[in-house]
Amino acid sequence: MFSLRNCGLWVAASLTKKRLTLARFSGDSAAPLATKFDVIVIGGGHAGTEAAAAAARCGSRTLLLTHRVDTIGQMSCNPSFGGIGKGHLMREVDALDGLCSRICDQSGVHYKVLNRRKGPAVWGLRAQIDRKLYKQNMQKEILNTPLLTVQEGAVEDLILTEPEPEYTGKCRVSGVVLADGSTVHAESVVLTTGTFLRGVIVIGLEMHPAGRLGDQPSIGLAHTLEKLGFVVGRLKTGTPPRIAKESINFSILNKQTPDNPSIPFSFISETVWIKPEDQLPCYLTHTNPKVDEIVLENLHLNSHIKETTRGPRYCPSIESKVLRFPNRLHQVWLEPEGMDSDLIYPQGLSVTLPAELQEKMITCIKGLEKAKMIQPGYGVQYDYLDPRQITPSLETHLVQRLFFAGQINGTTGYEEAAAQGVIAGINASLRVKRKPPFVVSRTEGYIGVLIDDLTTLGTNEPYRMFTSRAEFRLSLRPDNADSRLTFRGYKEVGCVSQQRYERASWMKSSLEEGISVLKSIEFSSSKWKKLIPEASISIGKSLPLRALDVLKYEEVDMKLLATAVPAPLKKYITCRELAERLKIEDWGC
Amino acid sequence: MWRGLWTLVARAARGPRSPRPCTRQGSGVPVPGSGTTIFALSSGHGRCGIAVIRTSGPASGHALRSLTAPRDLPPARSACLRLLSHPRSGEPLDRALVLWFPGPQSFTGEDCAEFHVHGGPAVVSGVLQALGSVPGLRPAEAGEFTRRAFAHGKLSLTEVEGLADLIHAETEAQRRQALRQLDGELGHLCHGWAGTLTQALAHVEAYIDFGEDDNLEEGVLEQANSEVRELQLALGAHLRDARRGQRLRSGAHVVVAGPPNAGKSSLVNLLSRKPVSIVSPEPGTTRDVLETPVDLAGFPALLSDTAGLREGAGPVEQEGVRRARERLEQADLILAVLDASDLASPSSRNFLDTVVAPAGAGSPNGNSQRLLLVLNKSDLLPPGGPDPSPNLRPHLLLSCLTGEGLDGLLEALRKELAEVCGDPSTGPPLLTRARHQHHLQGCLDALGHYTQTKDLALAAEALRLARGHLARITGGGGTEEILDIIFRDFCVGK
Repeated sequence: MFSLRNCGLWVAASLTKKRLTLARFSGDSAAPLATKFDVIVIGGGHAGTEAAAAAARCGSRTLLLTHRVDTIGQMSCNPSFGGIGKGHLMREVDALDGLCSRICDQSGVHYKVLNRRKGPAVWGLRAQIDRKLYKQNMQKEILNTPLLTVQEGAVEDLILTEPEPEYTGKCRVSGVVLADGSTVHAESVVLTTGTFLRGVIVIGLEMHPAGRLGDQPSIGLAHTLEKLGFVVGRLKTGTPPRIAKESINFSILNKQTPDNPSIPFSFISETVWIKPEDQLPCYLTHTNPKVDEIVLENLHLNSHIKETTRGPRYCPSIESKVLRFPNRLHQVWLEPEGMDSDLIYPQGLSVTLPAELQEKMITCIKGLEKAKMIQPGYGVQYDYLDPRQITPSLETHLVQRLFFAGQINGTTGYEEAAAQGVIAGINASLRVKRKPPFVVSRTEGYIGVLIDDLTTLGTNEPYRMFTSRAEFRLSLRPDNADSRLTFRGYKEVGCVSQQRYERASWMKSSLEEGISVLKSIEFSSSKWKKLIPEASISIGKSLPLRALDVLKYEEVDMKLLATAVPAPLKKYITCRELAERLKIEDWGC
Repeated sequence: MWRGLWTLVARAARGPRSPRPCTRQGSGVPVPGSGTTIFALSSGHGRCGIAVIRTSGPASGHALRSLTAPRDLPPARSACLRLLSHPRSGEPLDRALVLWFPGPQSFTGEDCAEFHVHGGPAVVSGVLQALGSVPGLRPAEAGEFTRRAFAHGKLSLTEVEGLADLIHAETEAQRRQALRQLDGELGHLCHGWAGTLTQALAHVEAYIDFGEDDNLEEGVLEQANSEVRELQLALGAHLRDARRGQRLRSGAHVVVAGPPNAGKSSLVNLLSRKPVSIVSPEPGTTRDVLETPVDLAGFPALLSDTAGLREGAGPVEQEGVRRARERLEQADLILAVLDASDLASPSSRNFLDTVVAPAGAGSPNGNSQRLLLVLNKSDLLPPGGPDPSPNLRPHLLLSCLTGEGLDGLLEALRKELAEVCGDPSTGPPLLTRARHQHHLQGCLDALGHYTQTKDLALAAEALRLARGHLARITGGGGTEEILDIIFRDFCVGK
């Protein structure tokens, strides 16, 4: 039996945890706490960590305010990062020297690139991540970032002053008021408060107000935002139950093994931290008519589904799948939560039925007949702010120097949050320095697509990235995110490290050199045919063919070319990434 | 280049979406000029029995009340007789029929008023001046009423084009075609294609974004492929109409050609019922190409008189001959004119061999040029005598001098032009503008790329491009439409 009181571990914890007052964690712990910073970031989730680190990288003295330092970098939903579209976002965050890709390369337990057979523009880098490792590595990173101070505390209110006349907006934020009444001043403030705004957790008919950070502060801040005139909407999301690993019969299920070799997320990771053979598998099972029956018979016990709160057009919960697509078998992926975790995350089984019924439903699924449910799934309903109230730099139109990033803007997903976090952190810092904002356009990146969609169209469902949203999909590929964003980040903003800049520059010059070499190698078509019999080169063309022309044949890659003409080309296949990018990019004529 | 343009189209089309929980923050595209009220004389200028003056915009009701006595609005959409007077001076202007069309059930979708006044110039200018004195009203710019109708979704782009054509229609057939287009037939046809294409694209996109993470049903791609193949067939068939709709809209090119002194200019003058070309018994009188628009049996045609085809004349005439040949290549229909009494002459024989024979045989690209063979000067033949040329292809006997055979020629022309322009009252709606053909061809070419490409991302790009071309005719084409279909047809999610 489960009741709301003891179900979600973190829910209970956050409600009972005594609030630490102004405990400080900083790379430079000896320094006294300043009461004035350049940038304050509120929230330590995926948007907050990226925003704080980006502002600090740009040279701003930054304060990260979070309720609990030990929840920084917590993956509160699925134990995975990336995917189709989301992996694209991660590469772009990485190209701006963001954190999540590098942390994932140090914390994954199963790396797999999706869509390998569908063309490089839509490859989806994805990995199962060890929750504990990710949190540890992220905290290590954040607590050791120069210029970044981390402090525990609940933000109760914003300090507002007269607006700067040369900008729009009816007032300007100049700091925050904490729950204990103390104030911290700053030039810019970034709000990344996730689902805390009037968050309500729902299991069956039980509803409990509980943002991850508890009630008190969220009400104060939500009240301030509403008083300022921000338009608020409501969204809902959910998470599946967690199942004890040893109670699952994996032997009768489809096993999915990771890629070999693993492709890292970050441009500056040579490899991931773990060998393919040490990685964990995932398993696939399916729902069945029995599951449909349980869902349909108990709709009256399911207030999350009954509520009219706008749900997404896609189907995040098993209830919506059963209701909208009846009489089908739906996939359930059984994903590991970590190397030494006893939990399995049944992806696709997000559910808000009463806990007993959830357990009953789980045990009618193949392989889960004897499964033990450790924590029930639940729904979350929360407020978001209409993202048409922010500019492409993520600053609000209403309040100068106030920035919003992450779920507060109506998005869903770690990667979408991280992408906004980087941009908000960079722009909060640029704003302090009175420099023009850093805006990524739709032609430059998925980050641009994301922010442009949000700020011009708004959203009425949790916004998730798909490659179909990108008009310039063919040029916004995971492989070339560095050439699109790293140089801009380095030159315009200064958010990119010297090491990354040099790596990107090396790649750029190697590609240019490689292309000129490929253009310089010329043979007759019959000679090419002899050298590379695999290629469908038509013989008899009078003009000689360049190696670059031969590389355009679908079946030819750099490896084949380098075997045929080793002398000048061999060095270009020593780096996997270089060889692949020579093949993928359209180098014109 | 196409990418930039396409984005513009796509973004314009994303427009306002279904009901939202949040209020708009002024991010919508404003309707051009909305807020102001416009007025204009809608009937033609000049003295006439009745002239119609229209207003459109929020102040229409106010304007109507200001000018009329009694000063209450007439019932919606019914004609009322009212005394019009100047709102400032109170001076009576006219006794007129007025109509009140409250939006959105009006031509522009806005509040509209119509004043049917007597057509004297002083009355018209008096009423226009009176309207100009009402606060919030300004004279309309050219096309502004239609533009507002388009902006409010009352007319689609093809319907607007149809309306413009209807206003400019000069022949029966043109009117029929324009009216069909105004009724939205071409738009409906293209919308049907765009719907099929969007569906196919959505399924390909779903396969890309969700094919590996969520289980899509079997055969998603196969279904999209077969939809694309059907669309290719439909578009191809329609494009084979060639330029018929366009010819009907802008006139078919009918070129009169023949050896010198066969009577070409006489025929042109006869068909156009006016002396377009100088006629003389001297060979080589016509040296340049002379064009005149004519209504031939209800079809619009651009009739070209050309220099007689012969070698060895002076440089000016040779240039005329060169231009004549050039014009012949562009002709939709050739009227080949020979002197019936002079068929054996070298110039006649040469003309029969080089122009008449190839046109009948058909050109290598399959578009055989249409040709009517006319033997002129039948009055010079012995009366009741045998056919002068039993071995010739089917031909018509005509005497430009007596007019004998003209009815037969007109009937033959009507049949030929009906083929060339298409019959506007039957069959599928025709493509009336070059840009329709351009975008349909672009769409078809892109579909060809789709079927030939293995890389699915590249193939999807071809479909996106194809859809962009159709969207130039139909409007729409945004990403949200795609996502709506994906989430309707497939169970995908977290």
